[in-house]
Amino acid sequence: MKFRDTYIGKIFNGTRSLLTGLGVTLKEFFTKKVTEQYPENRKTLKISDRHRAMLYMPLDENGNNKCIACGLCQSACPNGTITVKTKTVTDEETGKSKKVLLEYTYDLGCCMFCQLCVNACPKDAIAFNNHFENAVFDRSKLVLKLNK
Amino acid sequence: MNLTFIDIKEFPKRMEEYRYSKGMDFLRDIIGMDWGEEGLGAIYILENTATGENIEVATITANREKPLIPTVCHLWNVAELYEREVYDFFGIYFTKHPDMRRLFLRNDWVGYPLRKDYDTSEAINPIRMENEVTEDVQRPYEIAEDAEQAIIDKQTNKIHGDQYIINIGPQHPATHGVLRFRLALDGEEIKKIDIHCGYIHRGIEKMSESLTYPQILALTDRLDYLSAHQNRHALCMCIEKAMGIEVTDRTQYIRTIMDELQRIDSHLLFLSCAAMDLGAITTFIYGFRDREKLLDILEEVTGGRLIQNYNVIGGVQADITPDFVRKVKEFCQYQKGKIKEYNDVFTYNVITQKRMKGVGVISRADAISYGCTGGTGRASGWACDVRKRHPYALYDKVDFKEIIYNNGDCYDRFWVRLDEILESIHIIEQLIDNIPEGEYKVKTKPIIRIPEGRYSASVEGSRGEFGVYIESRGEKSPYRIKFRPMGLPLIAAMHKILKGAKVADLIAIGATLDYVIPDIDR
Amino acid sequence: MFDFTTITTAIDQFLRSMMPAQFAIIVECILVAACALLAYVMFAIVMIFMERKVCAAFQCRLGPMRVGPWGLLQVFADVFKMLIKEIISINRSDSFLYRLAPYLVVMSSVLTFCCLPFAKGLQVLDFNMGVFFLMATSSFGVLGILLAGWSSNNKFSMIGAMRSGAQMISYELSIGLCMLTVVTLSGTMQISELVEQQHDAWFIFKGHLPAMLAFVIYLIAGNAETNRAPFDLPEAESELTAGFHTEYSGMHFGFFYVAEFMNLFIVAAIASTLFLGGWMPLHISGFDTFNMVMDYIPGIVWFLGKTFFIIWVLMWFRWTFPRLRIDQVPTLEWKYLVPIGLVNLLIMTVCVVMGWTF
Repeated sequence: MKFRDTYIGKIFNGTRSLLTGLGVTLKEFFTKKVTEQYPENRKTLKISDRHRAMLYMPLDENGNNKCIACGLCQSACPNGTITVKTKTVTDEETGKSKKVLLEYTYDLGCCMFCQLCVNACPKDAIAFNNHFENAVFDRSKLVLKLNK
Repeated sequence: MNLTFIDIKEFPKRMEEYRYSKGMDFLRDIIGMDWGEEGLGAIYILENTATGENIEVATITANREKPLIPTVCHLWNVAELYEREVYDFFGIYFTKHPDMRRLFLRNDWVGYPLRKDYDTSEAINPIRMENEVTEDVQRPYEIAEDAEQAIIDKQTNKIHGDQYIINIGPQHPATHGVLRFRLALDGEEIKKIDIHCGYIHRGIEKMSESLTYPQILALTDRLDYLSAHQNRHALCMCIEKAMGIEVTDRTQYIRTIMDELQRIDSHLLFLSCAAMDLGAITTFIYGFRDREKLLDILEEVTGGRLIQNYNVIGGVQADITPDFVRKVKEFCQYQKGKIKEYNDVFTYNVITQKRMKGVGVISRADAISYGCTGGTGRASGWACDVRKRHPYALYDKVDFKEIIYNNGDCYDRFWVRLDEILESIHIIEQLIDNIPEGEYKVKTKPIIRIPEGRYSASVEGSRGEFGVYIESRGEKSPYRIKFRPMGLPLIAAMHKILKGAKVADLIAIGATLDYVIPDIDR
Repeated sequence: MFDFTTITTAIDQFLRSMMPAQFAIIVECILVAACALLAYVMFAIVMIFMERKVCAAFQCRLGPMRVGPWGLLQVFADVFKMLIKEIISINRSDSFLYRLAPYLVVMSSVLTFCCLPFAKGLQVLDFNMGVFFLMATSSFGVLGILLAGWSSNNKFSMIGAMRSGAQMISYELSIGLCMLTVVTLSGTMQISELVEQQHDAWFIFKGHLPAMLAFVIYLIAGNAETNRAPFDLPEAESELTAGFHTEYSGMHFGFFYVAEFMNLFIVAAIASTLFLGGWMPLHISGFDTFNMVMDYIPGIVWFLGKTFFIIWVLMWFRWTFPRLRIDQVPTLEWKYLVPIGLVNLLIMTVCVVMGWTF
């Protein structure tokens, strides 16, 4: 019979394993802590650029967007999150009629952040940003109008 | 996929032949099917674990009113739950099945939702505000000896009221989600167990039948959220195979690395949660502390921490970030050192060893019969790693060991995962410096249609074989899509593993089986 | 060393001069009870805060940081929350026993708390078999736990209570054996006398090997006695959600919570009294100047310092080890601790008889 299988051996081995564990936690007791103090560290907090927190429409300095109101994003969305309202206007110079965007509604509360709308967009008119602090008290506040 | 149809009259005999003469000992999946006019049926995917030979057979019954198919659960134990699932969704009675109850839906659900003629209107199945009555008695169905095919109700008791019954779940800290075990206890010892699933059943397979393929991709991340990459990889692979898309080498490298990172992520969570279930909360925090570093890397590349959305048909969503390689290497180096810490504080601890060694043993034969793939199967000595059996992506090019232990107890299941973390790091280290230049995504058609046919693909998920089966009629959405759950076989084996176990052992066994409920329920 | 009896005698004489002797005693009892309860609550609050911070440090965290500076007001916020919470009543529970149980648990720990010698003369109860009384009072807390589990009409609570009964009653034995070892060494059961005897060296040094062994066994058994990890089976949260106090809310739960922490304090305090000299400063015979310097530190600081050090050690245990299984708890007790304890007692007796102690 090996020593470690005897009564005394078991006690020694058991105690040794317990002491090893205690050693590890004691070492961690004195190492630097990893807690991130979230609301306090807002200024230094880095959320990765690719993080998908909410859909937005990049606007240029005049408040114009690149949307051509094709509705591909709306049909790509599995949840019916996006509604594109359009109107038909006639171009005065050429006389051709074309669809323009009237209202782009996005329901953040329904979104599952699958990125299919962004992938579907032919003009890169929509994108996800990383503004993750989206908590509101009323669900209706999650329905956003993205174009100005 | 070559599907062999077996006439229903010959079905029991032929299946027995497959099982015993041809050695098809692993039933990978049963896929319930509604073939419309032709009737209802089921597809059985079988595998010979010794030779790796695969076979797909199906049987069909034209009777839509009382569809009857003989059970195979005496041949493969896992069929017990698979058949219940098919019954739940298609209303096919498996004759001689010992326990033909619904598996996911409520007992008072009307109709069988995956049938093509199912009426989805809310008037038939309104949101029920009252609690479901638990059925203490089960009602097996039998064909009477006369050829009338009448269904006889015979009630037998499984768990009855005068036993000391406790519910572990659906709200319980150790079930890691909403799974419910009804236990009949004798003191601390478990006498019987009855498993109730479906508390997070979302009908993903049903939803998928009306979604386009890219939209279905978004759902796969939500099956087993700890193998989100692998799940999506499987579906992408299946669609790419069907459409004949060749992905670039760069994509293959990125996908393989991401799969392995996801596996490390999952195993770290496994280790932490197993430790917490055994009461070592500090180890839980250590595991999560290190997993956090990994999640930061994943978030930077994919934009998500849990729901990653990374693989798309023909490639990946976005190219890797410039400092991805450096960060992954740093993480690998860091993580190797931390394994020793986990071992010192938890694994080698005498209490852990006493809690895990020899507890919850599942033999190799049982593991195969119950289809327990992944770490659980490998801990019982079954070489079931899909990466070795049917290599995909780059797994035939990299050098790695398949981790196999032989005792099949909790301790071995724990070790399989610990070793796999190191093995995954080993795989990543071989690939990370050699990612070739090239496109990360090939161009695909804007609308994705799969040519008519049946396709399947499977990958090694974080906790077993994850399979996808698609039957397409050439439409934008699949005629039928089935995901092979990794967790359902594990909980099917639960009552076998639990023989003579105590309540505390149930927790240890549940922790080391490592099931994820949304994957079981789908 | 400063003797607190001078203050207590002064108060006693002052009261006696104001009123008849019987009244004076009643007033003294009320005063003592108020002080003891106040101290009890204060220690509990300190320890809850300490537990959260120590646990956090072991786990690489910071712990509570948001209520007050470094989270100092966190426990007060918790207590306030607990006080305003509704005490719910349970259907078909045995409501009398259900309500009685938390008081029994608190009573047991308050009674034990009163036996502790905080400093020279600062002790409520001190009589010639103090150690025995201490054991008796500390062990009826298990009754409260059993009743709580039994009366809440909850199967999880019931299992928790049964586990706790099996566990606490068996570990009582080891604690007794360890105390007996010290009593053998000192030859007295009076607590004040026990502390006085350690003026030249603490018992853990006097009794060398057997005393150290007894100390270790005492810590293990004491941990089990207070239902703390790795012996937290009665409330094992991953198995039984909260065990015997699943159904308690508000201040009733608060009583269990406070009593658990105070039992930890008591176990640590007894360990420091029996083995580490209680309020007695560190004295090394021969080094008179050193002893003089040590004497300048007040006794209560010594006592609390030692006690909180042992509490820290017990917390260190708690936040390192996984939980045992129910059948392993009696195994550890009956197959390891009790035989070792008995042999240890024998060795101690031999040592004392042969005069092999320091």
